[in-house]
Amino acid sequence: MTEMKNQAQDAIEAILAGYEKLGYISDEQIATALFLAQKLEKPLLVEGPPGVGKTELAKATAEYLGLDMIRLQCYEGLDESKALYEWQYGKQLLYTQVLKEKLGDLMQGTNSLDESMAKLNNFEDVFFSEQFLQTRPLLQALQNEDGAVLLIDEIDKSDDEFEAFLLEILSDYQISIPELGTVKAKKPPLVFLTSNNTREIGDALKRRCLHLYIPFPDAARENTILQARVPELNQQLRDNIVNFVQAVRQMDLKKPPAVSETIDWARTVVLLNMSVLDAEFIRNTLNVLLKFRSDIENVEGEIARLMRETQLTPDTPIQ
Amino acid sequence: MIADFIRILRAADIQVSPAEAIDAAAVIEEIGIGERRLLKHALGHTLAKTQFEKQSFDECFDIYFKLLEMDLGEATPTSDSGEAPDEPDAPSRDSAGDATDASDDADGEEGEAQEGQPGDQPGAPTGEAKKASKKPGEPGRDETGEGETDTQRASLVDMLTQKDQAALQAAISEAAQKVGLADAKLFTQQGMFSRRIMESMGLAQLDAHIRQLEENGESGKADGLREGRGQLFEAVFDFVERQIAMRTKNAGRLLREDALSRIRLSNLDRSDMKIMRGLIQRLAKRLASRHSRQRKKSRRGMLDIRRTMRRNVAYDGNLFELSWRRTKVERPKLLVLCDVSGSVAAVSQFFLMFLYSLDEVMPKTRSFVFSNRAGEISDMMRDGDMDQVMEQALREFGGGSTDYGMSMMDFAEATLDTIDHRTTVMILGDARSNYGDPGHLVLKEMHERARRVIWLNPEGESSWGTGDSEMKRLGAYCTHKQVCNSVKHVERVLDDLLRLST
Repeated sequence: MTEMKNQAQDAIEAILAGYEKLGYISDEQIATALFLAQKLEKPLLVEGPPGVGKTELAKATAEYLGLDMIRLQCYEGLDESKALYEWQYGKQLLYTQVLKEKLGDLMQGTNSLDESMAKLNNFEDVFFSEQFLQTRPLLQALQNEDGAVLLIDEIDKSDDEFEAFLLEILSDYQISIPELGTVKAKKPPLVFLTSNNTREIGDALKRRCLHLYIPFPDAARENTILQARVPELNQQLRDNIVNFVQAVRQMDLKKPPAVSETIDWARTVVLLNMSVLDAEFIRNTLNVLLKFRSDIENVEGEIARLMRETQLTPDTPIQ
Repeated sequence: MIADFIRILRAADIQVSPAEAIDAAAVIEEIGIGERRLLKHALGHTLAKTQFEKQSFDECFDIYFKLLEMDLGEATPTSDSGEAPDEPDAPSRDSAGDATDASDDADGEEGEAQEGQPGDQPGAPTGEAKKASKKPGEPGRDETGEGETDTQRASLVDMLTQKDQAALQAAISEAAQKVGLADAKLFTQQGMFSRRIMESMGLAQLDAHIRQLEENGESGKADGLREGRGQLFEAVFDFVERQIAMRTKNAGRLLREDALSRIRLSNLDRSDMKIMRGLIQRLAKRLASRHSRQRKKSRRGMLDIRRTMRRNVAYDGNLFELSWRRTKVERPKLLVLCDVSGSVAAVSQFFLMFLYSLDEVMPKTRSFVFSNRAGEISDMMRDGDMDQVMEQALREFGGGSTDYGMSMMDFAEATLDTIDHRTTVMILGDARSNYGDPGHLVLKEMHERARRVIWLNPEGESSWGTGDSEMKRLGAYCTHKQVCNSVKHVERVLDDLLRLST
């Protein structure tokens, strides 16, 4: 028992370190989830507010494990022909046209109808063969020899039917194609599903997944993330930025700034060569941080207070 | 152990399916239970599937495993059952060997642990009892050792005289399992279960022993035992209470909510308003998610020949691009007129509250309230707080006696132009017009134009048409008439509406 426990812990620490090397700052929760997903061969459902790095997690994982990443972006109306496979109808049609022309040559030397039918039968299987099969992300992921990281992004945007359709793939890693039979994964892919919670995901799907919730990071972690992502920034500014963003998140906003916005903002600071965060700069670049007019207006009025709270001195007075 | 934990999670409103329970077992196999924090993360990923569930999961985990940890931490040999031990502080576990010392020691500690000695042993004040229990410690053990009892592993008398906490706890949990404490649902069962546990632990023997001691004149020893018995009672009672609390944390709330959803809204108590609001929000969310995805339905496998032909003219009539038939599900265009006078007001309030929680799936809703005149409150509803809106609406349109004729006119004037074959008109009112004009002619006109007119009446069907109720006359121009006076009704009405709008 103790041995096993140590193994698990070692593995999780290794994952943490691996992520960090790739510039993805995670925490023990995330690493544990990944460890379990690998061990139990279960898909991982990642939820959290937009911009906390859900998609990024899948990318980092693919890189860390050295696997191909196959991404399927969900949207309303996505169906299996776009997600799984499609028969290349055009190509099949062309094939019949060609066949029609060649038919005369082929049928030469056959005397009876039976004979020609027998001859035709030899071609039948060609029509629905892999030759005409257009593989889509899900099938690609299953067919990949070394396994893959399959990212099903924003599952909440897809329809209920599609969700139901995913169940077979996610629990058995296999899929039935009526014309060809069942395709089984050579090596089960590591599946990530992300959701922004615009709607409840069905219980059946949830039950098959491990569930990971990524919240907004705390100040320390956000600081580390910035350090990894925008290394040009000096310590002082980084602290200021993180503190300010954390304070803004406390306000009642339509869409609080996420990590990706913090990174963008930090990049802005670097790009404009700012040496201090002053009120003027903050006001001018609030649109990087906030994406709603009303939010920007809300925060604009509070800049002085926020700066005071985060121990920034408002250099220029606010009119 | 995991089964027990999962049962507790279920009680805390976390849905755990058997499949997930199996997963949890697999997780434990991978992680082991030594590393508590890791286990918490791992089980959290496996069992709790929403943010809300995560929270309750964390709570449950902490409580459950803290109790367990104490058990494991002391490395007691008997406590393998996984049931949480009851004593918050019982440090004298290792002292079972040396009885005299241990009893002294344990007694002192116990006094601290359970503040205020239980006073249910007749005429044995604490100090005296302590002395008494110290003296007979040694002989008591001897006697019971060779005496009558040998039925249990270690008899209850033994455990009590030795103050063997660990053994007692183990015995309590074992007994609890035997009597099926896990199925306890109500606090009123607490006494019964405590009693049963005690009995299963050998209460009868203990009593007999005490009696025997008294007969033999060893009253000091008897008192000591009796005190121990009292404490044990207390401990068991406490244990049962905590177990029940853990398992039924949410049952009470669920029961209450279920009852509330059926209660007549006009009879609603003010104190329940808050629960009600939460309930409505949840119901609305469920309804919204059920209907939000049905706007476009492609009918699989039905080829739309005409569109396909048209699209493929460019390819010389070769059918390259296919197009399939689809039906479009329309969102209902809804006009609502609510009575806000008197008894109907409460129902109206909740109806509107529900309606606006559904904004997501029914964005084209316009609502009006009336008492003697009608006025639109759609904009207020969208950004205002519900209470304020109702108050304001009542101030503006309430007060006077209900005038259906006038209100209908107002309503028609504002909306008649926009009513078309896609519009559903909903009117919520008791149809009591104080013997005035009920406005049925206006309603007739609306009926002719609209797709549907639905009348919701908070009164029971039997009172329709009695007194000044004009339900019969008005009802003639309605496509549906329904009783609507509880949240259940409201939910059903709106669900039907969304489903019908195909």
